[in-house]
Amino acid sequence: MRAVTGSNLQPSRSCTPARRPRRITRLFAGLGLAALAGCAAPPPKDPDALAEYREANDPYESLNRKMYDVSMTLDKYSMRPVAKAYVWAVPYRVRQSLGNMVQTMNEPVVFFNDVGAGRPRRAGDAFVRWCINMVAGVGGLVDVAKYAGYPHHDNDAGLTLATWGVPSGPYLFMPMLGPSSIRDGIGYGIDTGLQPFNYVPRGYGLLTFNWAYNIMGMINGRADHLDALDQLQKDALDPYATIRSAYQQQRKAQAEAIRNDHRATVPDWYN
Amino acid sequence: MKTALSRRHALGLVAAAATLRVAAPARAASAGDARAFVSSFGQHLIAIVNSDHSLADKKVAILPLLQEHVDMDAMGRYWRVATPEQQTRFLALFHQILVNSITDKIGDYRGVTFTIGNVASSGPDQAVDTVISRPEQPAFNAQWIVSFSSGKPMVVDVMAEGPSLRLTTRQDYASFLGRHNGSIDALLHALDHQVQAHAAP
Repeated sequence: MRAVTGSNLQPSRSCTPARRPRRITRLFAGLGLAALAGCAAPPPKDPDALAEYREANDPYESLNRKMYDVSMTLDKYSMRPVAKAYVWAVPYRVRQSLGNMVQTMNEPVVFFNDVGAGRPRRAGDAFVRWCINMVAGVGGLVDVAKYAGYPHHDNDAGLTLATWGVPSGPYLFMPMLGPSSIRDGIGYGIDTGLQPFNYVPRGYGLLTFNWAYNIMGMINGRADHLDALDQLQKDALDPYATIRSAYQQQRKAQAEAIRNDHRATVPDWYN
Repeated sequence: MKTALSRRHALGLVAAAATLRVAAPARAASAGDARAFVSSFGQHLIAIVNSDHSLADKKVAILPLLQEHVDMDAMGRYWRVATPEQQTRFLALFHQILVNSITDKIGDYRGVTFTIGNVASSGPDQAVDTVISRPEQPAFNAQWIVSFSSGKPMVVDVMAEGPSLRLTTRQDYASFLGRHNGSIDALLHALDHQVQAHAAP
């Protein structure tokens, strides 16, 4: 499952000539798109059913459902038991601190995206959050910034693209990453590039930290959603469709919140 | 995975449900009416949740609140093709599922509180912002959509930090129906099964 606010692992740079791998990548990307196109179901004829089909925005549903089933099976035997053990072994406050750290380490990505979305006040908030939490919050373990009047806000490249007017494109369920869309999938790649950690020279300590941080972020992120996901799978008749609906609505609401944030960059007392 | 909907929705419903008893009389919808309604509904619901009764007793107490004050269009276009008997059965099961969903999330807590924030127009309805707090748990925002179209205030939707419970449920059921040839009986059977499974220890 996708660690909600964690950074992403980046494979180490290889010294092999870049040309051939790039061609191979293109070939695979092309094959992937062709496979997706082949999986698209034709839209229904009935007007009501067509409206529903458009609302779901999921032409690759059969492929997505397969990915969902695979992910859920893998999750059942890997991430879920690990997350359960983690919740059992680690006290709530410690988990909360680790969650804070993951969130603080991700603030640079939020900052760059706030800048990209043209929201300087939000960018300022993210920047101040990072500074305060890294220093006063002991490397991000304590969310001091929240108490100083700078609560966390979400942003990622998928949302930045949304504020630019880029449509989401069809829904995608990515194996082990969870619900996404064409736009958000591209955004996920951009966010990996925006994470400064991935550019720091790889000393042994940092490499170890990066692995530990990413793995811990994943487990922590999964643990945060243990109850919600269990409940959803118990309560929904079609958990796949419920997750799809909730994800699409949430992304829309998040993009809307960014678009509607017109706070001034000057301090409140100045107005 | 970002699917915090069920807990938040249920918590939101809790707050909304508690407000239902003191319904304002039929008159032009206003922000004040919606606020008073959500406040009253919320107080009632929270009072039940925070009481010392058993979970089963709490469920019995919450059910009439929801039946009286929640009117959520969870079936969408399939509502029109359902027979009156099927509609009645659906509503009975759906309310039971809402009660289960609420008590699963906050039934065991004591000291649940909620505060009411802004009230804004949302089309013909009123949207009331609330913040629900549980001990040792992060607070969450829920927005109650209150409709006055039937003459008395009714909760027609709950938005928990983005997703709408009405839309999510409707798409869940629509997807289920789409995969079962639109058979309402299959839906009712599945819902019934869900309620039974929930009642089992």
